[in-house]
This record gives sequence, structure tokens and C-alpha cells, in this order.
Amino acid sequence: MDAGVIAQDLGLIAAVGGVAAVDRRGAFQVMLSQPLVVVPALGVLLGDPVTALWLGSLLQLLWMSSVMHGANVPPNETVAAVAIGGAVLLFGKYVHPTDATIWTVAILLGAPLSQVGRWLEIRLDRANQQLSDLADEAARANEPAGLERLPWLGLGRTFVLNAGLAVVATSLGLGLLMLLDPAIGGALAVALDTVGRYMLPALGLAVALSVLRRRRALVLAGVSFLLVMTAILQGRT
Amino acid sequence: MANAIAAAPEVARRIGTGTLLRVLWRSFFFQSATNYERMQNVGFAYCMLPALTQLYQGPALQAAMARHLEFFNTHPYMADALLGATVRLEEEVAAGQASAATVQSFKRCTMGPMAALGDSFFWSSLKPFGAAWAIAGVLTGIAWAPLAFLVLYNMFHLTIRIYGIFAGYRYGQRVVEQLNRFELPRLANRAHYLAGLFLGIGAALIADAAMHSTAALGDGLEPVLLALLTGIFLLCLKRKMPMLVLMYGFAGACVGLVLGLNALFPLIG
Repeated sequence: MDAGVIAQDLGLIAAVGGVAAVDRRGAFQVMLSQPLVVVPALGVLLGDPVTALWLGSLLQLLWMSSVMHGANVPPNETVAAVAIGGAVLLFGKYVHPTDATIWTVAILLGAPLSQVGRWLEIRLDRANQQLSDLADEAARANEPAGLERLPWLGLGRTFVLNAGLAVVATSLGLGLLMLLDPAIGGALAVALDTVGRYMLPALGLAVALSVLRRRRALVLAGVSFLLVMTAILQGRT
Repeated sequence: MANAIAAAPEVARRIGTGTLLRVLWRSFFFQSATNYERMQNVGFAYCMLPALTQLYQGPALQAAMARHLEFFNTHPYMADALLGATVRLEEEVAAGQASAATVQSFKRCTMGPMAALGDSFFWSSLKPFGAAWAIAGVLTGIAWAPLAFLVLYNMFHLTIRIYGIFAGYRYGQRVVEQLNRFELPRLANRAHYLAGLFLGIGAALIADAAMHSTAALGDGLEPVLLALLTGIFLLCLKRKMPMLVLMYGFAGACVGLVLGLNALFPLIG
């Protein structure tokens, strides 16, 4: 492993993490921050878009209910997705190709980062109180220019802190994956494979279905599942 | 003014398209300084500045800046319509045809309903639908599905922002009626049904992938297990159990079960 190349990859992950965090709350909000988008973007940059597409889809399902209603600050799926995606992709690039067991371990290790990201977002909102006070001062002094720079300070802070968190969390995740990898084998590998193939997708589907507020939408999900499953099984026979 | 949006019946137009476009651009940074006490106040004032500096000078500008630094909280995409309408109202205030209190009262009355409308359509309906659609695409092997999600989502997002700012300026306080023409609650219902449809398709494709994996159970049990687990998780989530608790609880149970069974009946090396 070349430390310089890894540092370059971590730099890319930091940049993506920072941009995604800014998109999530501060600016544009064009959904670059969604796991379904940000993990495949990392996959393209780090050279494994196929793994990233699958992982991004699974993470999207798991955090589909993470929605900012009113002043509510939900779990931060972006921080978790960048760190989990980054760690899995770097592991695949520098250690050995990944499979469902590695994805499962990475998700189980990285999921609490959604709460860390939420905590960071709350801290940033509190720190922004200072910007609001500075805006009052600019208004009192009748200085529009003083007010105009404040949003950039808020965005800069969000970018830097989230980029830093992405690097630390990804490095930690990669280290833990490398540490645990030799122990994953035999029955433990079968168990983790089962968790990754059935339990996590089922949990993700349940989270996504719980977002739907119409009972008939759930019925429609059941019907389409049965129809497509029947078609797949009949196609096989 | 030559580049004004619409002929004004009451007040001579002073805000041109260029200024409205600057307000629109700034609205993309609406939440950049969101804070606990007054939420989007800095963002709102920042967006309004191009219009305020054109309408006021001296103490009047000072007062205008201060009144837009009051508490404000709405959905970021719906904010454009309110920004457009507020620019129009400020124009009337500058012409002496409305009071500053009218501006504040308009913002206070409309931010809540607009937030509810935006939250329910964009966050709770369009995002799940777009994501479910793209996930079904990824599972069928369409690599550009996430890109399609971005295009679909932002088509609605940018339309409501761009229309909002100009409609807000044109219709002033009647902008909410204009936005009702989009029938967002009806579209939200449809998005829920489509999300359900695509999640069902996605679930079948996940079961199919499991059948072809190293974790295949055989005898067509994979879809049954997936559906059963999804049903159990859905019931737990409806009873407000946190997702992370379910994740660690069931993963721990699954690993424990497999390791325990293997210890009793050694089949796996």
C-alpha cells in the first residue's frame, strides 16, 4: 500500500464528504448527499462503481426515513454513507475484493455515524447563532457587505468539519475492517453473509415502506413483489 | 422599467428580472447559516439584499435588513415563492403603499403552510419515489439510475424554485393560491403509490439476487424469508422501535444463532 496514494484517496473522500454535507443542508440541496448518489460517486472516483451502486442502494433504503421536517434534525445518512462507502471501497482497492460479509461488517460498524453526524449538525446550528448575532450587528451598522459574507462562513464551517469527519471515520473504518478481516471465516462468514443478503435489505425495505403514508401503497408494494417474483420464478422454470 | 416582469396596477415596478435572478441564485444558499434561535433568518436576509439595496438607502435600508433577520423557517424550495412575494411587498412599502408590518405578517402567516406543503411533497413523497425507482433500476443493472434520480428529482425542485420566485413577485400575497395550481398534495399521493410499486419490484429483485448468492437457501425460500423479515421490521418500526436497535438486535441474534447451531451441529468449517 502506497501511503501517498491512500492519502490522495482520503483527500477525494474528504472533498466528496464536504460537498455532500453542504448539499444536504446548507446549499443547493440537489440530493447529491443521498447515499444512492454519493456512494456511486465515490465508486467512480475510487474505481469500483459496481460495488458502490449496490452499497449505495442498500444504504439509501436503510436511511430512507431520514427526513428534515421543520426544525427536526434527523440522523445524518450522508456522513454514514460516505464513511461506510469510503471504507469498503478503499478495502476493496488495497486489501482484497469485497463481498457481502465485508459490506455487512462495514455497515454494522458505520451505522452509528449517522448519530455522530446528527450531533455535529446540531452543534453547527448552535455555532451559527454567532452568525445570526453578527448579522444583527451588520444591520445595525447598515453594512450589507457584512451580512453578505456570513452564509459563506456557515458553509465553510460545514464543509471543513464534515470533510474532516469523513477522513477520520473512513480511516478508522478501514483500519477496523483490516483488523477484523482475518477473523471472518467459516460460520461467522456464513452468518454475516446471511445478515447482508436478507436482514439488512429487509430492514431497508421496511424503513422505506414505513415512510409511505398511504395504506394502498403498501398493498401495491406487496402485489408488485408477488407479480415480479412469480415472473422471475416462472422464467427460471 | 423595461425588464420588469409584469405591468403593475398599483406600484411602479422598480425590481427587474436581473435582481430577481440574483435573489433566485442566492436562494440556493438559503440554509447556509441555519441556527436554533431564528432558523433561516440570515439566509432570508441574504437573499433579500439585492432587492433591498435597490429599494432603500440609509436608515430605511437598516430597518429593512433588521426586519428580515427575524425568525423564519420554511421549506427551502418553497422559500423562493415567499422571497418573490416579499420583494413585491417591499416594493410597495418603499412606495409608501404598504406598511412594514404587512411584510412581517405575510411571512409569519405563510411560512408554516409552505413548509408543510414542501415537506410532504419533496421530502416525504418525491424523494422516496425517486429513490425507490432508481434502486429498482440499479437492481436491474441500470448503472445510470442514480443520475436519472437526480434528473427526475431536480426537474420538480428547480421548477418550483424558478416558478416560485417569478410567481411570487408577480402575484404578491396571492402566490399561495398560484402554487395551489400545482396540486402538490395530489401529486404526493401518486408518488406514494409509485414508491410502493417500485419498492415491491426492488424487493423481488433483492430476493432474486439472494437466490443466486452464496447465502441461497434453496427451495424458493429466499423470497419468503425476505418478505417475512420485512413484515416483522415494518411492524417494529410502526411501533417506533429505532432502526439501529433493530439492526444490531437482529444481526446479533442471526450471528449468535448461526454460530450456536454450528457449534451444536458442526457443518461449516
